[in-house]
Amino acid sequence: MTEPIETLRVGHHVPDFKLETFDPAKSDFSEISLAAQKTAKKWTVLFFYPADFTFV
Amino acid sequence: MFKKVGAEVITVSTDTKFVHLAWQRDEKLLEKVKYPMGSDPTGKLSRLFGVYDEDSGLALRGTFIISPDGILLNSEVNFYNLGRNIDEILRKVTANVHLAANQAEACPAQWHKVGDKTLKPSAKMVGKVYEALK
Repeated sequence: MTEPIETLRVGHHVPDFKLETFDPAKSDFSEISLAAQKTAKKWTVLFFYPADFTFV
Repeated sequence: MFKKVGAEVITVSTDTKFVHLAWQRDEKLLEKVKYPMGSDPTGKLSRLFGVYDEDSGLALRGTFIISPDGILLNSEVNFYNLGRNIDEILRKVTANVHLAANQAEACPAQWHKVGDKTLKPSAKMVGKVYEALK
């Protein structure tokens, strides 16, 4: 049984996360992490969407 | 446009990275895409941000802006059938970058770009915002 994950709220710290990616700029698979973004002093815009090959 | 203001856009869906590769290769509209396409097949990240739909296994249309310190500053979530306005997201990122560098300021509703009028909230402004915006 997995523990319930608390969802985030605006104004709160985001816990570090990692994501496997396909990076078109490298034409290769890669990984991003919030820790790396913070080290690079970059803002992060996470853009969730339902599914590839769909429309809106 | 986002890179110019120091922001990295990362898209995320519950598709695997293999589907992202195939889609970016196939769809002409994505030809010029240079942003990383994140893969969340277990829904773990989508659940953390509160956009995971348990009934479908898909993520809702959520956009989240995180500062370089790791604080979540903005959240916008739409149901499946309503797309988001990218200009508005860029506006919010640009505003956030400006506000992080100018902590005494606030961006009023009409703020669109750097150079537009901002407010400097203080006791003197209470009840006098009309005058402050003129």
